[in-house]
Amino acid sequence: MAGRRPLVLIVEDEPDMLLLLRLTLEEEGFDTCLAADGATALRRVDEDRPDVVLLDLMLPVLDGWGVLAELRARRRAPPVVVCSALDGAAERRRAAELGAATYVTKPFEVGRLLRALREVLPGRGAAPEAAGRSRLGLGGAAPA
Amino acid sequence: MAASDEVPEQIRREARVVGLRRFHTPSLEAVERRRMQLWLLTAVLIVALSTGAALLSLWPARTWGFARPGTLRLGIVALSVAFCVYAIDKELHLRRLARLLIDERVLTAALTNRLRELTLLLEAGKAVNAVLDLDAVLDIILRSALELLGGRSGSVMLVEGEELVAACVSGNDPARGERVRLGEGIAGRVALSREPALIDGTVAGDGAVSPDRPVSALSAPLVHRDQVLGVLNVNAERGRRFTEYDLRALATFAEQAAAAVANARLYEAERRHVAELLELDRLKSEFVALVSHELRTPLASILAAGETAMMPAVRDEAMEELLDIIVRQSHRLAEMVEELLLAARLEAGEREVELQEVDAVALARVAAHDLGPSGRTVEVEGPEEAIVAADPDLLRRVLDNLLDNAHKYGAPPVRIAIEPGEEEVVVSILDAGPGVPAGERERVFERFARLRDTRRQPGLGLGLPIVRGLVEACRGRVWVEDAPGGGAAFRVALRAARVPAERA
Repeated sequence: MAGRRPLVLIVEDEPDMLLLLRLTLEEEGFDTCLAADGATALRRVDEDRPDVVLLDLMLPVLDGWGVLAELRARRRAPPVVVCSALDGAAERRRAAELGAATYVTKPFEVGRLLRALREVLPGRGAAPEAAGRSRLGLGGAAPA
Repeated sequence: MAASDEVPEQIRREARVVGLRRFHTPSLEAVERRRMQLWLLTAVLIVALSTGAALLSLWPARTWGFARPGTLRLGIVALSVAFCVYAIDKELHLRRLARLLIDERVLTAALTNRLRELTLLLEAGKAVNAVLDLDAVLDIILRSALELLGGRSGSVMLVEGEELVAACVSGNDPARGERVRLGEGIAGRVALSREPALIDGTVAGDGAVSPDRPVSALSAPLVHRDQVLGVLNVNAERGRRFTEYDLRALATFAEQAAAAVANARLYEAERRHVAELLELDRLKSEFVALVSHELRTPLASILAAGETAMMPAVRDEAMEELLDIIVRQSHRLAEMVEELLLAARLEAGEREVELQEVDAVALARVAAHDLGPSGRTVEVEGPEEAIVAADPDLLRRVLDNLLDNAHKYGAPPVRIAIEPGEEEVVVSILDAGPGVPAGERERVFERFARLRDTRRQPGLGLGLPIVRGLVEACRGRVWVEDAPGGGAAFRVALRAARVPAERA
């Protein structure tokens, strides 16, 4: 069963946010691996082969832009959901140009983030955690 | 002007009398020609009359009716006399006309000269006022002055403190950048007395006239609104002597030049000011972006944790962690809001504090002790007590901020060293990190300094600006230097409240 849970790489330098995302995603039926800077994130992409990357932009060592650029240069890169407190149109455009699948602005609604992750999962029709099976009941439907 | 209008009228009248009607304004040459004609006519007539008289005397005495020789002779004499009177009268008028014409020429030449001067002044004024760059203005002033007076070389010197500095030089006397104390040398004395000076080599102002120095020179002060801005110096071409008249012309020009210099300076100051304001505006916009980003980060955690906690099936352990996150991030948010408000209040200069006697050593020990649970260690060195005039809350905040700073950007060991002095107590926070580069030491206390960095450090970058504001509110000073043995030393100097008690 564990092999069937999609693996999310959470890239975030803010410890509480990292912890929080892990808690929420694991409760929602994802497996997670973590990175607190861009360089680690690239290493974990190679080692752990995540199904999707949840990426903050303001990161030490190598920032989110650098990670996006590096990932785009790879042949088999996972889709990326950017999750940042930067909310300018310029940042959204730049992220899209660098191949980000979705852009979620902090602060975010948990339901929206989960939807965004599920939407970009490869072969998402087969994604095991559909709305009904989500432990937290926050699958596809928007939270009240 | 009335007098000069009269002259042509007089000339016209004289010209009419001597028969120079065709010439609206007769020339001297025309007058001379007329004179020649007059004297030629006179000569011809005299010759004719004399010949007539001679022939008459040779003629045998005969009676020609009424024309007896005696009567004819008398007639010839009368004609000669009448013509002589006519010729002399015309000659007098011609002379008068010639004199008037010469006067007119002199006057015209003088007027032309004056007009040229005024035109040059006007042009220089226009050129000077059309340009607002100070160097260009000085250049135009000097070139115009040299042209106006036929100078060989010159300089514009500007007052800087107690000195005159050669800001614009033509020729090589003096060299650009040369400095003269006010009151010394010719220029220095002109600047002090505000009186233009005419320098003649024979009565040299400073007594020293070297062969390569000009024999004749002018120096006029640049005075604008009762303030001496500088001195304009012009040296004569070789073989030329300046006169009082030249001095007056230069002084008049200097008035205009001074106004232009003042305008250019004003404009430069204004331009600098505008550039500063634009930069400040840009920094403020960036600061707003930074603040919103920094405030959103904990807010995002709080909201997401809250939402997750409200989901129906959260495990108890997860719930506990979520609540922890909410509390921690709320504290962080509150701290940041507090920091922003404090910085704003300090900037507005609102903080008026009552200074009390505070033991800096005791306060430092408490601050070090309170850091214990976070795992950060701080060593306190100093006497048993050091009483300063400060506000204990503010001083504590200063220490906390500097200690936090030392741990964040410096490296352990972090120490507080307190050195009491007669007037001041210096509290130093020392670390063993990389230190602050010499060029950055003032800037780190400025707001927005963080913005010029990589932006990777979390936080608002208000820590040190707040420290400076708080220390100044306690009438103290704060600065950073290299710690002995490497690292940064942030030093806070506070007024000593009383001389430390002598202890055995």
